[in-house]
Amino acid sequence: MPVPVSQAWTVASYVLRQKLQGRKRYPLVLMLEPLFRCNLACAGCGKIQYPAHVLKMNLSPEDCFRAVDECGAPTVAIPGGEPLMHPQIHEIVAGLVARRKYIYLCTNALLLKEKLHLFTPSKYLSFSVHMDGEREHHDFSVCREGGYQIALEGIRAAIQRGFRVTTNTTLFEGADAKSVRAFFDDMMEVGVEGMMLSPGYAYDKAPDQKSFLGREHTRDLFRKILSNRRPGWRFNMSPLFLEFLMGKQRFECTPWGMPTYNLFGWQKPCYLLQDGYAETFQELMDSTDWDKYGTASGNAKCTNCMVHSGYEATAVDATFSSLRGLWATAKATFSSSYRDAAALEALNRPSPPASSLVQIGASKEEVGA
Amino acid sequence: MSDLSAAIEQAFDYRGDVTITTRDGRTIEGYVFDRNAGELRMLPNNGGGAKLKLATSEIAAIAITGRDTAAGKSWEAWVKKYQERKAAGETGIALEPEPLD
Repeated sequence: MPVPVSQAWTVASYVLRQKLQGRKRYPLVLMLEPLFRCNLACAGCGKIQYPAHVLKMNLSPEDCFRAVDECGAPTVAIPGGEPLMHPQIHEIVAGLVARRKYIYLCTNALLLKEKLHLFTPSKYLSFSVHMDGEREHHDFSVCREGGYQIALEGIRAAIQRGFRVTTNTTLFEGADAKSVRAFFDDMMEVGVEGMMLSPGYAYDKAPDQKSFLGREHTRDLFRKILSNRRPGWRFNMSPLFLEFLMGKQRFECTPWGMPTYNLFGWQKPCYLLQDGYAETFQELMDSTDWDKYGTASGNAKCTNCMVHSGYEATAVDATFSSLRGLWATAKATFSSSYRDAAALEALNRPSPPASSLVQIGASKEEVGA
Repeated sequence: MSDLSAAIEQAFDYRGDVTITTRDGRTIEGYVFDRNAGELRMLPNNGGGAKLKLATSEIAAIAITGRDTAAGKSWEAWVKKYQERKAAGETGIALEPEPLD
């Protein structure tokens, strides 16, 4: 199973409830950004480019609880900034656990080991550790040598203390499919519960606009990575979303599926674009011109986007929209090797290194799962 | 688009603080995070985190005055820095977040 049964049941019953109520647009995951401050300075990041007086600010636990209650989504992801830098993050998490929300605390894990004592293991809490691939790839991606090792130690400590731990990996232009597959092997060996992955997105305010993947390139890359899967790989994601990344499903964006609340309010229209802010969740839903977003809209900012925050909610909705969706999900869950000779051949085809600085050790030729 | 509308849009897109002069002569420095047809919302840099809403009719001028917080932080800049520091024999190379004070 991609997620534990209790979590899958909570999400499934929530989605079915929305459908029975005839609710056309409903949130699935609240993206709660309690701060923008970070202890990394990744060159590609578009989330932390603010003046110091903004970076110093924190949402209070009460602000967070109000947003969570207003939104009603069964799952809350806490990205940022680095949430472990928030002085009251443990209070926020405890309050959300008390509300029986499934929480993904998205962290670079630089502080995880030293802050673990602030938290109690719970089926509701997962540390979702940002790992952008094998050691050299990750360190180069987050612009910090040694970052991988610290994160790995944090992951190990959290697993040892009984916490749920997943990884989240963002892939950019030049990603090495073989190396990503080797990274999956490593993470499974370390013992994480599951892995999440997504192509990167060129935020409007990101200083780097050149390293993000186009749609066709995204499909090619993910087809190479996710075909011929090894039996032990576990993904903490909708299997239909992974098929979407591989080009096996065609979905439209659901920008309201993962609404974002942060220091400025409810972000319009989605986690990635900043077209303004609403003061309440209802105002976000009512005042956003949703037809202006997504690939079908022709909005240039959405053209290359295949990010989980827009499309995983679509994939989950597709599961529960028809028997066909349910069958496709069951099939993808229980029969997930995706044998594909052409993808294997493409994977083994030599490709030029993406950067002279990132020299990944020569991988052995793969012979399929 | 009027000059004022264009200036508001530019301020909204900017990754640093701006200074707004109101028609009654006040100046407010801060980060503009939202705008719509009739108003602009910002976080003044001395406002203790309180949001401020200004009707566009109150605004006389907007100037980009704060530093662009993303300037010089491109991927290419990182690659160049990395190469230089590596060539100089450094280890533990990292980009550090800027101090906030």
